[in-house]
Amino acid sequence: MKDFKKIIEEKHDSIRSLFEEGGKFEKWYPLFEAQDTFALTPPDTTKGMTHVRDGVDLKRVMFTVVVALIPCLLWGMFNAGYQYYDASGIEANLFTMMIRGSWIVMPIILTSYIFGGIWEVAFAVIRKHEINEGFLVTGLLFPLTLPPSIALWQVAVGISFGVVVGKEVFGGTGFNILNPALTARAYLFFAHAKDMTGEVWTLAKDGATGATPLGLGASFGGEGLDVKAALADRGFTFGRMFSGLEPGSIGETAVIPILIGAAILIVTGVGSWRIMAGACAGLGATAILMNLMPIEGQEAGEIVQFTTWTQIPFLYHFVMGSFLFGTVFMATDPVSAASTNIGKWIYGALIGVVTVLVRVTNPGFPEGVMLAILFMNVMAPMIDYYVVQAHIKNRNAKLRKFSYAKG
Amino acid sequence: MSADFTISKGLNLPMLGAPGTEIRKVSSKGTISVFPSEFQKVKFKSLVEEGAKVARGTKLARRKDLEGFFVCSPVSGTVKAVNLGERRSLKEIVIESDGSDAAENFHSFTVDGILRAKAENVMSVLLESGLLGLIRQRPFNRIANPADKPKSIFVNGMATAPFRPDAHILAQGKADAVQIALNALTLFTDGPVHLNLDAAAKDSKDCLTEAAHVQVNYFNGPHPSGNTSTHIHNLDPILPGDTVWTLRVSDLVRIGELLLTGLIPNEQRIVLSGEGFKESHRGYVDVPTGIALADVLEGALAEGESRIIRGDTLAGEAVNVADTGIFYYDQGFVALPEDRERYLMGWYAPALDQYSAHKVAPSHWLKNKLFHFGTNLRGGHRAMVMTGIYDAYVTLDIMVDPLIRACIANETEDAIAMGILESDPEDFALCTFVCPSKTDFGKIISETLDLIEQEGF
Repeated sequence: MKDFKKIIEEKHDSIRSLFEEGGKFEKWYPLFEAQDTFALTPPDTTKGMTHVRDGVDLKRVMFTVVVALIPCLLWGMFNAGYQYYDASGIEANLFTMMIRGSWIVMPIILTSYIFGGIWEVAFAVIRKHEINEGFLVTGLLFPLTLPPSIALWQVAVGISFGVVVGKEVFGGTGFNILNPALTARAYLFFAHAKDMTGEVWTLAKDGATGATPLGLGASFGGEGLDVKAALADRGFTFGRMFSGLEPGSIGETAVIPILIGAAILIVTGVGSWRIMAGACAGLGATAILMNLMPIEGQEAGEIVQFTTWTQIPFLYHFVMGSFLFGTVFMATDPVSAASTNIGKWIYGALIGVVTVLVRVTNPGFPEGVMLAILFMNVMAPMIDYYVVQAHIKNRNAKLRKFSYAKG
Repeated sequence: MSADFTISKGLNLPMLGAPGTEIRKVSSKGTISVFPSEFQKVKFKSLVEEGAKVARGTKLARRKDLEGFFVCSPVSGTVKAVNLGERRSLKEIVIESDGSDAAENFHSFTVDGILRAKAENVMSVLLESGLLGLIRQRPFNRIANPADKPKSIFVNGMATAPFRPDAHILAQGKADAVQIALNALTLFTDGPVHLNLDAAAKDSKDCLTEAAHVQVNYFNGPHPSGNTSTHIHNLDPILPGDTVWTLRVSDLVRIGELLLTGLIPNEQRIVLSGEGFKESHRGYVDVPTGIALADVLEGALAEGESRIIRGDTLAGEAVNVADTGIFYYDQGFVALPEDRERYLMGWYAPALDQYSAHKVAPSHWLKNKLFHFGTNLRGGHRAMVMTGIYDAYVTLDIMVDPLIRACIANETEDAIAMGILESDPEDFALCTFVCPSKTDFGKIISETLDLIEQEGF
């Protein structure tokens, strides 16, 4: 191991001068830096008054998010294969499903990484800053929010929009207002709605179609209908939606892999448990409130029926669509979320509330959680502002009390 | 009267290299330097020239912006050189000691007598001797201004940062000096004088725990429970317009010796710690004030390149050993191994030998283990991404994320409202330590404090 390290160190040192100022490839220094610090930690020492530093850097933090996404990725591959064979009616074993699934999913991920990477490097070179590790997360997160049937050019356009408009125009990682992966998805959602909405997805095989439960909801309309039974009628029982063997975006369908990811993020302290808990509380409370609403009422003496979508049992909201995936991996992006700890509770809770509101009152947009998170991304600085103002007020009151107590 | 506080926030670095408790002695080699430059942000004008004869207590330089404040010689001898530093500021005055007892005496007091003395008389001794420079004033942590009346005075007798000296060892054998200095401090304020000690010392009996005429408080908890800001915040927070004075037990001893004898103290006790020192040399040393640092460290350094830090590891200044000596203000030096090692795949390797406060690092889960620390940055500088992790390391009523953002944006009014005037850059040292983006919080806070001081508020 020591020799291996030495060889790498020597190799890097031998070409370093090419990339440094005055070198032949001076412009490409960020690329060299990325590769160099990927292999070996930088030799830099501390400056300033604090002379020691913690062993953790941003690379390890970001890498942990990637690790937390892996269960979802594996499940997404398997499910894509499963749906493919299920729709085409061919018998297949688990292994072939996995192979087929990775054949469907891997190109999407590679496209996302390649095109996103090109933009990332381009901006790093122009702005002369390091390539940020956050891109490793964005590049994987985005494909997991796409249906497996998405066209590769759409992936490329989407990630380009996400990286450039979602992040780089604001100044790069750490300065963005919106989550870049979600910005990319929102762009595709509105620009290519036909390929993105949950209504009808061709399952990676020409002619075969399947609908997601949320997509179905949009087609139910407002007639007094038992939603739970109607969903079960089409095969969407709680158990199936929990297990994840259903059509949907690559990474979001199954609950268990997402919970594994959530556990990794919470135990390592990388993802904010406050946001996750807040979102679950907000979603549950709002969904229960919706359940309590009447399904019919009187208007001008006539009995009218309200939308039945309110009657979805609240537990269903947790397993339908991308709520858990979005909450665990997207809402917890520390850059676009609220930065204060109290703000995180509020931010999370409002994501849950808005998700249900979008789903229930406007099922025309089947994916409420995406819109909810983007909306709350925009609102996060305002939440922080009020939390800080409240803190200042509270602080001054305490200080005043202290001086009164002393006379 | 006494108060006990338990601080739950913070972090003790599990750092190897702690000092022992034995006290060694290093004697002078004949040359002593006085460093007016140790009093930062203050300019001095030299009163002596090369070749001048001086006695112990002779005034060597006067402060330009404050009438009556001098820096005095701790020994008798001949001025060998007057060295200027950056921008022709007075850096040091080198004196060749002649070993005689010739001295210019200041007014001296008795331990109890000083309580009946006039505050102006005691203050004039502190001013003329220059030892007022050991008393700091907040907000802004600058040298105390004799024109201001502090609402209370805080004496720090704690050592939670790695490795500040144990106040009880500094005060060992100096009971009279400690008590007379505390008595003197009571003259300068209508409020209380707080002596803040580690709760671990509560049951021991020495001149600190049994100090009279002052309020002895005990703080329990990890660093920064030993920072002066923590004490002020819990005992008597700084409100707009308030002034408090702060000092440390090492300063107390120095001031006390002056008031007792009327002579400029010429010996002080410092601590050497850190893995850069040989184990046998980690401990307390009685050194002549103004002796070259190289003479103190002779034979003390372990093999390998080390960074010598004046102060402590979390809030100290790296010094060039050949270029400096023992300041009046010094109470210790840390030697930390310079670590430029590159580690293979640092983002992935378990790195069990590198301490981390974050749960994401495997080494976090090794409890009760002490680690080697070096000067390695352990990563690269990045934009700040993680939020909400810093509040657990600051004991003041401050939200760190919004404050640091306000500071970066130069929003001084917001920063003041959020409580920056209660703080000192050292209070954010743990934030700097834990930041995964390797942000230097201390620098950002200190720049903002400077800006606020310039602008006035």
